[in-house]
Amino acid sequence: MTEAVHTGMAANILNYVFPNDLHVHWSLMIVLYPYITGIIAGAFIVSSLYHVFKVQDLKPVSRYSLLFALAFLACATWPLLNHLGHPERNWEMLITPNPTSAMAGFGYIYSLYAILLIFEVLFIYRPTMVALKAQSTGKLKTLYNILTFGSEDLSPRSIALDKKIIAFLAAVGIPMACILHGYVGFIFGAVKARPLWSSPLMPVIFLLSASVSGIAGVIFSYVLIQKYKGRPVDSKCVITLSKFLWGAFIICFTFEMLEIFQHSYLKTHHWDMIHGLLWGPLKTSFWRMQVGICSLIPLFLLGILIIFKVREKAFVFFATIASGLLLLQVLLMRWNVVIGGQLMSRSSRGFTTFHPAFFEKEGILPAILIMAAPLVILWLLGKIMPMWEDNQPSTEPTTRT
Amino acid sequence: MQSYNTHVKRIVLLLAIMALVGYGAKKVLTPSTFGEYGHYRGAAIEKEANRPLKHMTNYSCKSCHAFEWEIHEYGKHKTISCEFCHGPYANHVKDGKYVGRLPVKKGLEIKTLCIRCHNKEIKARPKDVIKTIKMPDHLKSQHVREDHICNQCHHVHAPLRYINRAKKVLGLLTGKEAGNEGR
Repeated sequence: MTEAVHTGMAANILNYVFPNDLHVHWSLMIVLYPYITGIIAGAFIVSSLYHVFKVQDLKPVSRYSLLFALAFLACATWPLLNHLGHPERNWEMLITPNPTSAMAGFGYIYSLYAILLIFEVLFIYRPTMVALKAQSTGKLKTLYNILTFGSEDLSPRSIALDKKIIAFLAAVGIPMACILHGYVGFIFGAVKARPLWSSPLMPVIFLLSASVSGIAGVIFSYVLIQKYKGRPVDSKCVITLSKFLWGAFIICFTFEMLEIFQHSYLKTHHWDMIHGLLWGPLKTSFWRMQVGICSLIPLFLLGILIIFKVREKAFVFFATIASGLLLLQVLLMRWNVVIGGQLMSRSSRGFTTFHPAFFEKEGILPAILIMAAPLVILWLLGKIMPMWEDNQPSTEPTTRT
Repeated sequence: MQSYNTHVKRIVLLLAIMALVGYGAKKVLTPSTFGEYGHYRGAAIEKEANRPLKHMTNYSCKSCHAFEWEIHEYGKHKTISCEFCHGPYANHVKDGKYVGRLPVKKGLEIKTLCIRCHNKEIKARPKDVIKTIKMPDHLKSQHVREDHICNQCHHVHAPLRYINRAKKVLGLLTGKEAGNEGR
């Protein structure tokens, strides 16, 4: 670190930076944290569109999106734990709960949401798992037995009860998902020492970009998996998802730009710093990449696809590209907010610099591993719970021999 | 006997057990002095207060190193702690007895040490608080060889000691202007 100050790093530091502002403490891990949480909330919203709002077109991804959310939920705390010096102390939060800690608050909301999501998945999959239990043997049968709580009752009365519970969980899940991710925005918005974060718009922007990343993630991975497996892509489903994606992104992008406009019009004493940041160290990652390439291109691409008559195959192809760009857009937005906010020195005169290394504890390699982990978990979940409608086992009671 | 809501009953039972276990774990695992003064372990205060001291003041060093202390005390570096360059007191003296040598920087190490603070690249250093320089421009402007080390001109404990004294001899500074450092 000291060496870096004397060699290359110092050349990138602009103007007057307090020595204690030199090092960016909230690293790449804290960029991933809101990114992963956002994907959970967004994917859950996709499943709720089917389970609560009865958008029938989304049936092909209704179960997949739920498992997608669950897989990312399993890894949401990993970047935080990797960031901490003493990750084993996270249990203290539950043993000695602190109602005034904003960060502990996330732990409670996350835990409640995890319980809700797990039970929703278990209830939705119960008939499927009962059927699978009958077909399987050995350890897998024991696993299904545990996951179905030993019940094999698929009578209409039992299914009706399940449906009521699912509807309740899904309905409660929507505000919970919104709180989960809005809360992440609140954590940043509540840091009043950072002019770029300290804004009541933060939870709104985070929540909207969460919806964007979740929907885009579901479209992108759904199309890629179906292509890889050689199965047909349900273009009606992709079209409906793209419409929701476009809508969510229009609002999201508008709010992101409105926030900058608000700063620029108010011209508070922080504006010089924010201006210097956005047109200085963040010029490439914010204006060129986040706004230019990853926002405007998908915005117009999705607009053209939805407004004009496009062949279904072309629609799916371009919607997948737009989704990929939007996934990148949200990641860039997290980077620009989390890292950008810390590049400004409290001297209000200078900017520091941040370059993650590949092999360090919170570097690029751990980030790649953490982002790959949910996909592995999703693959494992898919082994136990069939994700797609077409390979669900028959839930008719099977006659056992 | 299974009924239509067996699984729901079992889930409710599981949640109740989880809540009970959680409550029990909280009771058992919460440290006994927790909450005595605030949202922390009361015994932590005593534990922290009993930590052996690692750092001392410049006056602790004076008892043995009075000569160096005197030069340092009247120089531009007087506000800098001895430990800043030499390392913590505890590594040197324990219970009044010598336990280890503290590093004394020599040769090129001196240059690295000085540049830690006096580097012009570190922009957060106002001119009137600290003099910052760029190497080798500083050596060039002073018309000395570029392989010179800082302590060939500057006394490390009182950086202007020799320089002000030389200026006084040459009549460039009066005794008053040279100050204590140029004695």
